[in-house]
Amino acid sequence: MTQPSTHTPETAGAKGQSRRGFLKTTGLTALGSMLGMTIPFERNLPAGIIPVALAQDTGADFMAGKEGMVVLGDRPLNAETPAHLLDDDITPYKHLFVRMNGLVPQNALDQDAEGWVLTVDGEVETPLELTIEDLQSRFETVTSRLVIECGGNGRAFFQPGTSGNQWTMGAIGCPEWTGVRLADVLNAAGVKDSAVYTGHYGNDVHLSFDEDKEVISRGVPIEKALEGDAIIAWAMNGEPLPALHGFPLRLVIPGYPASVSQKYLNRIWVRDKEHDGEKMSGDSYRIPAYPVAPGTEVPPEDMVVLTEMPVKSVITFPRTGTELAPETPTEVRGHAWCGKGDVAAVHISTDFGQTWQEAVLDAPHNRFAWQRWRAEVTLPQHGYYEVWARATDQDGISQPPLSPVWNPRGYANNIQHRIALVASA
Amino acid sequence: MFRIMTRAALGLGALVFGAGMALAAPDPMQALRGKPAGAVALDPMSALRAHAQGGEDMAGNPEFDGLPDGPGAEETYYQCVACHSTEIIKQQRITDLRWDELWTWMVEEQGMVEPDEETRQVILSYLKENFSSER
Repeated sequence: MTQPSTHTPETAGAKGQSRRGFLKTTGLTALGSMLGMTIPFERNLPAGIIPVALAQDTGADFMAGKEGMVVLGDRPLNAETPAHLLDDDITPYKHLFVRMNGLVPQNALDQDAEGWVLTVDGEVETPLELTIEDLQSRFETVTSRLVIECGGNGRAFFQPGTSGNQWTMGAIGCPEWTGVRLADVLNAAGVKDSAVYTGHYGNDVHLSFDEDKEVISRGVPIEKALEGDAIIAWAMNGEPLPALHGFPLRLVIPGYPASVSQKYLNRIWVRDKEHDGEKMSGDSYRIPAYPVAPGTEVPPEDMVVLTEMPVKSVITFPRTGTELAPETPTEVRGHAWCGKGDVAAVHISTDFGQTWQEAVLDAPHNRFAWQRWRAEVTLPQHGYYEVWARATDQDGISQPPLSPVWNPRGYANNIQHRIALVASA
Repeated sequence: MFRIMTRAALGLGALVFGAGMALAAPDPMQALRGKPAGAVALDPMSALRAHAQGGEDMAGNPEFDGLPDGPGAEETYYQCVACHSTEIIKQQRITDLRWDELWTWMVEEQGMVEPDEETRQVILSYLKENFSSER
């Protein structure tokens, strides 16, 4: 793969000095506006250092299409969406969270899919080598709205702190994906009885530029892969996959942490055991096999792979801190979703959880799309209020008001979302 | 694959072992005491975070991409930015053990080249002092 064009390739562990002073910026405001996002640590970005997000593609501002995002980190690039920007039924590119484990491949930045092949091999009767044209001609094309949520969404609310990106509410989105069913492709290859798990591979670039290192390679149990919801997608919201979201091909496997939805997909290895690729082992995406107290050190042998994401919701309107008139009905709305499939109910409270009213909950557009909910609230008098939202799944399990059971890596925190409303007479 | 753990004698210690916890009487309400008001007055979620975000005390040293001043800041900066920016470091509030585990993971899984032992100690001490959930 080609090296980024604007700096010298380095061996792993080389000193950072050579990365300094690529280009002089004209000021952090210009940089921030070029990136199209808020950089909370902007005052700490010294002049003369361009985030690799820009350095990768000389002079290009490929992040300009994002708006209003909160950048957690510039290298690797991770950015989440404030709740009030998640209101669209279909999450547009500009508001879809960015989660990079490594660097964006140059062919993705160039939107160049020349010669791209998806290999399906391992415990299959007939290994396949499929071009994108093969996928489009041999299998039924489907378009689905599917939620993707980072396994660490909500991590910031665990106490004591857990390592990793401190996502709050915004590592979530529901774009519309176009592709073919993963199950159709696997069945065309003929899944053997010996198949246990899938292993996914892509051409992400490792942060150290070591070409032998996989950036991320996770998988799912074969039963999950063979369910009808997952797709191998080449388009998002009707356009070819953007560079940041997996061009030219990706998996979208809803209901599980989005790390199984491999971007830059070029191989699906059907395995005869649990996959052990990068970020499948150790304690990556693993939770304790039994509940532990906050701060507990858990032996590695007691950590199991996180699969189904818990029920969750977000309040997307109004924006937190909005001022309203008292004694005036106003709509509060948002989305709800669940790793099991459909959400059964959403309730909201305006009195810190003392009383709850049921929201109107729409059916999903298709299974594993998020569901719109709406409620009407009337704030009784002048003062400060909070709206709390609580989704409940098909089994009667609801979001907790505080963080759920703590786990060492801070996954699956589906704490209820709260916004502030101020009634001004 | 989900593994069912069968442990005949899963004592309190195994469930509660962790930095700074009194083994005899875990108290969930303890964790809720004395929390600072959220850094953002009209965003209730900010008060629930492991640490407040923002504020002048977070400014750090611009020469080291905002890492706080202190012994080891420079060594830490040069060791780490070879691969990733300082943003991920500044987000962490974790235990000493977790920092040790992350170091090992970076060496064994991510190709990080270790500095000499003295520098390693300086860097880990700096991280544990400035990005800790224990102090």
